[in-house]
Amino acid sequence: MHKLYSNKLVIFSLVLPGLLTFLIAILAPIVLSVYYSLTDYSGLGAANFTGLANYAALVQDEVFWRALLNSVLLALGFICIQHPIAVLVAWKLDRLQGKAEGLLRCIYFLPNVISVAVIAYLWKFIYNPNFGLLQKVLELFGYEGSFNALGSGTAIWAVLVVLVWHGFGWGMLIYYTGIKNIDQVVYEAAALDGATSSQTFFRITLPMMKPVIKYNVTLAIISALKQMETVYLLTNGGPGNETQFMATYLYKQASGSYKYGYGNAISVVFIVICLAATVLMNKLFAERKEAV
Amino acid sequence: MVGQEKKGFRISTLLLIVLAVIQLFPLIWLIDFSLVESDQLFTSGILVWPSPFRWVNYTRALFESNFLHYLFNSILINALAVILVVVFATMASFACTRMRWELSGFVSLLLMMGLMIPIHATLLPNYIIFSKIKILDTILALLIPYVAFSLPQGFFLTSSYMDSVPKELEEATVIDGCGVYRTLMIIVLPMMKASIATVSIMTYLNNWNEFVMAMTFLSSPDWKTLPFAVLEFTGQYSSDYAIQFAVMTLSALPAIVIYILLNKNITKGVAMGAVKG
Amino acid sequence: MAKAVQLDTGKAPGAGANQKGGTTTKLKNLFSLLVCGSLLASTLAGCSGSSTAQNNTAASGGDDAVTIKVFSNLTDRTSGQGLIEQTIFDAYMAENPNVTIEVEALDDESYKTKFKAYATGGNMPDLVNIWCSPSFLDEVVAAGTLEPLNADDYADYGFTEGSLDGVTYDGQIYGLPRNTDVLGFYYNKDMFEANGVEVPTTWDELLEVAQVFQDAGISPISMDGQDKWPLAHFINCMIGTVKGADTYATMVNSVQNSDYSDPVWNDTISAAAEQASLLFQPGFETTDYATSLNLFVNGQSAMFFMGSWEMSMAPDFEVGYFTMPDFDGDGEGVIGAYNGGGYAVSFSSAVKEEAIALLNYMFEPENWSNLSWKNGVCMSAQDSTQYLTGNETALQNDIINALNNASGITGMTYNDLGDSAYKTLPEDSTAEVLSGMISVDDFFANLQNG
Repeated sequence: MHKLYSNKLVIFSLVLPGLLTFLIAILAPIVLSVYYSLTDYSGLGAANFTGLANYAALVQDEVFWRALLNSVLLALGFICIQHPIAVLVAWKLDRLQGKAEGLLRCIYFLPNVISVAVIAYLWKFIYNPNFGLLQKVLELFGYEGSFNALGSGTAIWAVLVVLVWHGFGWGMLIYYTGIKNIDQVVYEAAALDGATSSQTFFRITLPMMKPVIKYNVTLAIISALKQMETVYLLTNGGPGNETQFMATYLYKQASGSYKYGYGNAISVVFIVICLAATVLMNKLFAERKEAV
Repeated sequence: MVGQEKKGFRISTLLLIVLAVIQLFPLIWLIDFSLVESDQLFTSGILVWPSPFRWVNYTRALFESNFLHYLFNSILINALAVILVVVFATMASFACTRMRWELSGFVSLLLMMGLMIPIHATLLPNYIIFSKIKILDTILALLIPYVAFSLPQGFFLTSSYMDSVPKELEEATVIDGCGVYRTLMIIVLPMMKASIATVSIMTYLNNWNEFVMAMTFLSSPDWKTLPFAVLEFTGQYSSDYAIQFAVMTLSALPAIVIYILLNKNITKGVAMGAVKG
Repeated sequence: MAKAVQLDTGKAPGAGANQKGGTTTKLKNLFSLLVCGSLLASTLAGCSGSSTAQNNTAASGGDDAVTIKVFSNLTDRTSGQGLIEQTIFDAYMAENPNVTIEVEALDDESYKTKFKAYATGGNMPDLVNIWCSPSFLDEVVAAGTLEPLNADDYADYGFTEGSLDGVTYDGQIYGLPRNTDVLGFYYNKDMFEANGVEVPTTWDELLEVAQVFQDAGISPISMDGQDKWPLAHFINCMIGTVKGADTYATMVNSVQNSDYSDPVWNDTISAAAEQASLLFQPGFETTDYATSLNLFVNGQSAMFFMGSWEMSMAPDFEVGYFTMPDFDGDGEGVIGAYNGGGYAVSFSSAVKEEAIALLNYMFEPENWSNLSWKNGVCMSAQDSTQYLTGNETALQNDIINALNNASGITGMTYNDLGDSAYKTLPEDSTAEVLSGMISVDDFFANLQNG
């Protein structure tokens, strides 16, 4: 091996830009976050060291647990509603062939490229009980009341629908390419054996898709945890705190109530939870892989 | 048996079409009501036929506002972010996969940490840091976090792709006396086309629609990006729904056009992200 | 003294006309009334602010180019208050060619969020919008974010007595109030006529009117429930009709001592919670400001509960205005009014003197006070009797009459009487109890424990 390949200066210059952005935009804020989370800093004036008081308060904060629960609910929604449909659609789409295949794939993915700002405002209009699309559709089916989807009790489901609708194409596309990668020979062999199409799906397609499904499920959980923008613009956590997620809650605490220290404590716990979830998913799936 | 299969096929095709309608209809509704008088939203029909088509909603949305300016900002910031991520990721990947040094594994791990860090958790402290180093309300306030949070994925994709590219050719050039940088430019980059396309697309998809940081870190219209146009317009034209709908349509349009143009590459990109990720 | 600014709009009623009309004396009454009312507000507890007062002589005549950054909550720059503000800025720039004014405008809720971000980052724009209440100012003033102003500068500005109380901490003023805000109901006169109903004068009549509209398939009152504070104002107005001149003292006492045992609380909250679904449009708790206004303007609701700053609305039907009908039916009470929005100069501003000069220019009586009234946009916090045109719109006259016929005003609402951290508690609780998410008992438990 050439000595140039172990030239420290060259190596340093190659990784420096990457490390620098990491330091400035990721590591430094985390360190700062940890520091502020140990203070009663309001965002104004001086910060007093208060130890773990913010964390102690956090454990007892119902809204925080609600936010965490909402993330779990959202992840379940992705995994139990969005993904089964996405797998089935991807499978059917693959067998469709021709122009329709490309067109439909394009349509399914379309909402995904549109800005969440547009999506959130659009759905706010759709959900409006006075003139929204949903209300008009319900009236078409003979419904006489006014249905406020963003109201208490249904708001979290309304948010879920928007997120499932918006992200559907992404999940579908990953499954779709996963299915495309399955060797046609396998299907031909199955057809020769006289397998019906549902048998093919459950006995061949699904098992061969395992790695893709694992990836997609991990992605769903992480994105459920990280959810912020759509919720922020659609409900801002309301009504009450029914649709609060960790990111919207930390934003509300810091920017709404001058609880900057507390907001940072949420940030820190938020990061720990995301790290833990990722590590856990990797462990879980890695072990399975060995078992298979 | 064959008949049953066919019937099943028909029903599933129907379901595929129903699903397509569900995915598409809200957008059709949006476009429809962007072309009518504002108060027609309150009429009872689900859709209305615009007569006449009120294109004036669009001309006003386009020219009575900063729309074009924001569009330009969005394109510029995203283009820069894509270029920087590709360059930084390729450099770091080369160092970590090809070159020999003790900390290689540790640095890789650091760079990939960002994959797990939720971007919004850095919002509050970054505001203070950016204000201390005086880059709030500048292009850097968006560019730095955009690059930082897209780099881990870019680095991951690039280095795993680089692993699969044969080393012999570049080793020969290095021995020929070309420096590492020249080797990187002349030999490695051309072989990386597929992964560069993927990294570019993923970076674009990550950042094009980003909203909360733009809202927090920017104040003057100088560098505001497209998602902001929607927020600004809903305030500016709060009483005119048709114009708001026109703005939403316009804001969605560039991304849709890019998607239609790059449809194949985006599909490939997402797929590659999945397989490698 | 600078020239009066000419407003560049054709649609504004009475623009250009400047004769004094018969309503002058009425408005004089109004202002003397405001004086009494606002005195109540002077009991406000203040935090200590850094009081390094300095004499600021207007100093924008220099040759050096100056950029003044303005942070405004008036997003619509082409009508209403936003147009008045922009018009004054444009005129100022025309008179002072070296000055450039850059406006960043965000809607109220985004504004408050961003304002806190600016305060935290220590990079507040030069001239900013404020709300003249403890819930907005306490922390900000205590942290020395705002530049103290010289009260003597405004001796001739005609600010009504008491109107500066909300911005006064330890005898030092930190901002200027923009308007005198009256809370009440805008109503669609055509719709009232078509359904054969009259303006309600008691709570029971209001319920009857609401029922008539419900039966006709029309939402009675359009309410901005998502922002929550209008709901608190609604309660405040109800209490005003019961407690009369004692309203403000009752609020302050309850908030400071966490004591809500006065029966007026239970009576009004219970009634409002019980009748909310009758009174307000479906989904009011998730309707934002713009949507609630649009529902009314587009004939989707018969009434709209909001402040007098919306008086420039111009729907294609005739609009009237009335204040909260008498809740306890004893024929006595005060109406909901206070000094809400205002302006202040950032302490850290690099162009402090220029920003103060601009602020002073805005509030020279011929400018804000004159323009806002003449164009039917709002009532300033200054004595603007001299700017009565006699061409006031019917809506403007309704609002003046409402003020003149009242025996006093409420002053600030309970949600604004604590600091910013406190504010979310009564607002969230009020929204939750009115939308039926929590019981009335829970509401009081929340407030007492908070």
